[in-house]
Amino acid sequence: MRARPLGRLLTVALAALFLAASCSSDGDGAAERAPEDDRADERAAGDDPSGGHAPGHGHEPVDADAGADVAPVRGRGAGMGPQGRVPQFVIECPWSHSAPDDPIVHPGHPGRAHLHDFFGNTSTDAHSTTASLVAAGDTSCATKADTAAYWAPALLRDGEPVRPYTAIAYYRPGLGVDPATVQPFPEGLVVIAGDQTATTPQPLDVAAWHCGASPVLHSDPPSCPDTAPLAVRVVFPDCWDGEHLDSDDHQSHMAYSEDGTCPRSHPVPVPQLIFEVRYPVTGDPAGLALASGGVRSLHADFMQAWDQAGLEREVEVCLNGQRVCGVVSNRATG
Amino acid sequence: MTRGIRRALAGLLALGLLAGACSSDDDDGDTAADDEATEETPVATGATIRVPDDHDTIQAAVDAARPGDLVLIAPGVYEEAVDVTVENLTIRGLDRNEVILDGGFELENGLRVLADGVAIENMTARNYTTNGFFWTGVTGYRGSYLTAYRNGDYGVYAFDSVKGQLEHIYASGSPDAGIYIGQCYPCDAVISDVISEYNGLGYSGTNSGGNLLIVNSTFRHNRAGIVPNSGSYELCYPERETTIVGNVVYDNNQPDTPAIDVALLAMGNGILVAGGNRNVIERNLVFDHERTGIGLVPFPEEEANDLVPDPDTWDTPCAEVREEPLPDHPEDALALVLWDPQQNSVRGNVVSGSGVADLAFGSLQEDLAGLGNCFSGNTFETTAPNDLEALAPCDGAPTATDWTGGALDLLALMTAEQPPSVDYREAPTPEPLAQPNMPDAETAPPRPAIDVPFAVDLDAIAVPERPAGT
Repeated sequence: MRARPLGRLLTVALAALFLAASCSSDGDGAAERAPEDDRADERAAGDDPSGGHAPGHGHEPVDADAGADVAPVRGRGAGMGPQGRVPQFVIECPWSHSAPDDPIVHPGHPGRAHLHDFFGNTSTDAHSTTASLVAAGDTSCATKADTAAYWAPALLRDGEPVRPYTAIAYYRPGLGVDPATVQPFPEGLVVIAGDQTATTPQPLDVAAWHCGASPVLHSDPPSCPDTAPLAVRVVFPDCWDGEHLDSDDHQSHMAYSEDGTCPRSHPVPVPQLIFEVRYPVTGDPAGLALASGGVRSLHADFMQAWDQAGLEREVEVCLNGQRVCGVVSNRATG
Repeated sequence: MTRGIRRALAGLLALGLLAGACSSDDDDGDTAADDEATEETPVATGATIRVPDDHDTIQAAVDAARPGDLVLIAPGVYEEAVDVTVENLTIRGLDRNEVILDGGFELENGLRVLADGVAIENMTARNYTTNGFFWTGVTGYRGSYLTAYRNGDYGVYAFDSVKGQLEHIYASGSPDAGIYIGQCYPCDAVISDVISEYNGLGYSGTNSGGNLLIVNSTFRHNRAGIVPNSGSYELCYPERETTIVGNVVYDNNQPDTPAIDVALLAMGNGILVAGGNRNVIERNLVFDHERTGIGLVPFPEEEANDLVPDPDTWDTPCAEVREEPLPDHPEDALALVLWDPQQNSVRGNVVSGSGVADLAFGSLQEDLAGLGNCFSGNTFETTAPNDLEALAPCDGAPTATDWTGGALDLLALMTAEQPPSVDYREAPTPEPLAQPNMPDAETAPPRPAIDVPFAVDLDAIAVPERPAGT
């Protein structure tokens, strides 16, 4: 049995039974909308896999209220569902540190970025390079070979940072991609997924909020029950142009596969990194924001600084070998 | 050559019927034969590769091995996390208590097996952040005479794997289960002659079953003893058709173990079926539990991926389910899914000393009889609800109908405070006593896991005698 935060489970279960299933509702009343409307929204917002990585990880201030009149969306993310269905390896990386640094967007300029939560490599700061990360070599991740740096904007509640307790990095073949063809990320790859400037819903298959292990994804934070606390999920592109480790917008050297195929412009299938951050947040989502702006400005950053041999081994035995090398479906929530 | 024939050939060779060369493989270098150890024509030499004589590390020896080989490990402490990707190996320690893989609370798995037919014998794995011994996605696995203690998730862990044997194992000090078989149907596996203690759960199996036997084993001093369970957070739900016979299950109330939250929830129960189905629980000796000796309870899953499948579909093999798209249920229906225990059979057990009830069955729904569980021929003092064997006999019509008297108070049980988990690195898990070695470790031929599970004569198993001193 996988660990679940079940200490008060039955209370919650009974409450849910007798008080109706309010725990999946969107914080702002979207649950009252008909399911068919939700699916329509999902199509509208989620079917264009290229729509969620618009360039512009800039540092202009974002008006958190802009776009607030655009209704939130929810739906089921493609490729989600019970773990154990697709090959994967999974890295759990507890929170390491927080800082207003961003070595991708603001290299060499400490304090210039919005507040970030860092996971993985414990040395990540504004001066980090993939080489320095590899050299530092220490990680918060359970897999010690994973010395990559992962970060995401800090979650704020009424303006105060909420410290996440952990992040989970899922490495999978892109949806429908032949696992045997997946190649390891090249050393030194740098990439940003999601759009920090977004004020309207991003595609749910790129950036979304959810409760626990639920497959139901939301553009805005839902109200989550005690047994399935709030989390965000950012899905990185799984196709590389085969040439560039970075690009001006930190995104265009990468692309999303479509129907299991990488585009000609980005022909190299690499693992699909699904980065999930879990927060000790349940109940009413009022007052939540991201340090990058509103709750729709979800994004995450990745500097590929694995021990390369370790990464290559995991890709080979788990993804190419088509095995489920681990699951963290419902591991203890800290 | 078909895969099956190749495997059979490899097995014959490995068993020494066709090959007598038991030397190191180091002398054959990069010959064509090496290249043939692939999908097309595996070469099963039955060679013996010694650690550290032939290779300094277990990983190097395993990587150099070819299907059918024996990797023989001398006593020592090996600070390694070993991946096994070569089929049909036998990996053996010369002394179970002195061949020790140590993760130092840094490494993840002692031995992670990603190839079919691999047997691991006669060694110890401790202090790994996840698992001591781990097979995933394989057909054919065997763990024999293994000791796994103080590991961060599971002691011995078989996931998404079929045709297995776990025997003569000692597992302790894990927050999840000492021994786990999950996500398989039919599993075609046997757990026998194991001792699992001081874990969160003695045994756990999520969404597993189908010719899955747990027999002649001891589960004691865990938070909870044997806990088959269901949930849509992993594939191949629900759990069904686990056969639990002839085990000694006692004193699973241990308050100072590491424990996942479910172990806290399940604490104080001997055999607890949490949303499992069609399990056969017979002739076990179960005693001294603060809650129930044998309990059938629901598992409520919030924010589920799927609903409980119709029982008519439970015969579908896991391999087929994997290919099916996830049903598109209304989201609100997934907010809370109740996995009720259904169609379990509890017969001929000897149960005593339970704080709540020796035999118990509860649900969050009213129609308990409709769930089809039955109880007959057990030796017991208390049940919840009262007269459980009269309410739900396995044979014949019920002779009682009042399900409310003495009903199991699930709410009280599941909301009670329990002693918190203790970090697995710091819990007072006893250092294992010296455990029995496998016979003839030095000379026994390799025996890859191509002949498992071993046959079990269930009918010959009687209720165990009470252990001395208990």
